[in-house]
Amino acid sequence: MRRTRPAVRVMAGIILAAALVFFLFPVIWMFLTSFKTQAEVFASPPVFIPGQWNLNNYAGALLPPPNGSGGWAGIRDSLIVSLSTAVVSVAVGALAAYSLARYRVGGQQFSFWILSTRMFPPVASALPLFLIFKELKLLDTYEALIIANTIFNLPFAIWLLKGFIEDSPAELEEAALIDGSSIFGAFWRITLPLITPGLVVALLFSFIFTWNEFMFALLLTRKAVRPLTVIIPSLVGGHEILWGQIAAAGVIAIIPGTLLALFLQRYIVRGLTMGALKS
Amino acid sequence: MADKLAFRPRTIRFSIASSVERRYRTTAVLFVLPALVLLLAITIYPLIRTLSLTVMAQELTVSPDAEYVGLQNFQKVLADGRFWNAMQNTSFLVVVGVAIQLVAGTGLALLLSEIGRSRSVWVSLFLIPVMIAPVVAGFQFRVILNDSFGPLNYLIKWVSGGLISPPAWLADPKTALFSIMLTDLWQWTPFMLLIVLAGLQSISVELLEAAEVDGASYWQTFWRIKIPILLPVIIIGILIRLMDTFKTFDLVYLLTGGGPGSSTETIAYYTYLNGFKFFSMGYTAAMAFVQLVVIILVSRAFLAIQNRQQKVG
Repeated sequence: MRRTRPAVRVMAGIILAAALVFFLFPVIWMFLTSFKTQAEVFASPPVFIPGQWNLNNYAGALLPPPNGSGGWAGIRDSLIVSLSTAVVSVAVGALAAYSLARYRVGGQQFSFWILSTRMFPPVASALPLFLIFKELKLLDTYEALIIANTIFNLPFAIWLLKGFIEDSPAELEEAALIDGSSIFGAFWRITLPLITPGLVVALLFSFIFTWNEFMFALLLTRKAVRPLTVIIPSLVGGHEILWGQIAAAGVIAIIPGTLLALFLQRYIVRGLTMGALKS
Repeated sequence: MADKLAFRPRTIRFSIASSVERRYRTTAVLFVLPALVLLLAITIYPLIRTLSLTVMAQELTVSPDAEYVGLQNFQKVLADGRFWNAMQNTSFLVVVGVAIQLVAGTGLALLLSEIGRSRSVWVSLFLIPVMIAPVVAGFQFRVILNDSFGPLNYLIKWVSGGLISPPAWLADPKTALFSIMLTDLWQWTPFMLLIVLAGLQSISVELLEAAEVDGASYWQTFWRIKIPILLPVIIIGILIRLMDTFKTFDLVYLLTGGGPGSSTETIAYYTYLNGFKFFSMGYTAAMAFVQLVVIILVSRAFLAIQNRQQKVG
């Protein structure tokens, strides 16, 4: 056993604790701000602990106008768009990944081309996409956001699932094919159950990426569809910025990501690197 | 480390008649089609559409009519000081920001690797910023960095006993870009930490023990053993961050709106301004096209490195 000297460990602990304060402070500050009154937010020197722990900001952020800022509808829109995007990305991605992993369709160049589309700057395709959706009368609809987000999640889903499929044995599928199963039958009944963890990781990450996405949400929507990431900046009103409500909406917005960070650590490396690294 | 990289192909091997094999292959191609169509819709289609726009001048604020102008839009881009300013700001975030993330992330990962059982709890907590929407992160830093009611300047004044008068971070052109970098550092340093830590954990304990027995110092072990083994992991981390930082839009939109002046405009943000605020369609298309060229060059490098690693693996 390799042991680290106790003194070194204590030092490491102290430095890490200091770093952790830096990385968690904004989150904690947001949590505190979400309970402050507007006067407390603007106080100088700053108020650290809010005077009263009530849910006024949460109500204000969530209730529909005129009483609030419409956060409920935002959560609903974000959920619809993120869930649909996750399901479509993983469905389309799994089929493609299976074909790439098991049949090498298009060869390695094609796989890498798919990877390279991940590097495509969204802003470069935002204008053409905007124009297409305008012609199709899809601006300000769930469909537009789902399509745009799916396209940008696909390379991720394909590469992640391709890695999972390559890691699982092909013999069972071969046996099924010899026994007369169709490719889709082999894929559906044998491959998919084998890569269940991969499907879960791909679903969760596609969900989070879409939940957190801002540019398309901003550019492709107007009034009918307003995801949470668009509602939050809209709280910067003409005459005053509702910091308490922004913080309350922020606390709600980070719940899915925080849960993922806390409970799915095992798969996070693989998810964040599109399967390039495993841990 | 080599087996950590995802390349262990297990393709279907056919022991059946080739006519059957051909039918299977046709089906396999059908499986890729939906993904292919969607991906073409963001790459080739915008490229064509963009290319046809780049030779037109279409100022929607003036009139909806487009006029053929040849390569003038490209000349305009290359002569546009604001475009180069945006390129410079983006380069600063990409080069300086990612370098700091790498060094700080590696440092923290090394420290975490010295800590025993509680490691996974630490990692979970460190990871929270990574999973947060940039919109939320942006707003929190707007509060924290605020000159009059933000906690940061209050703490600086309190700690220094009023000796240091900190700047108005986001309102001062000298510190605004730095503030955006700081927010990005906050969000993404834990990502570097995580992947370097994953790399460190793959190094065999025997190897490190052997080095220790041979009397290698900590730094010798670090430079001669850990870094070479970590290199492929670090390269992947850098490239992912490079790509994403090049696209920085959300933080600029939320923290500064590109200002003061144009001191924090990134290339993604300036493109957005041209397309969706100034409505100069042809010009925006030309600018998007220039970015595409840059990204294609960078992605070529990515592929080359991936390919080389595969050969090593």
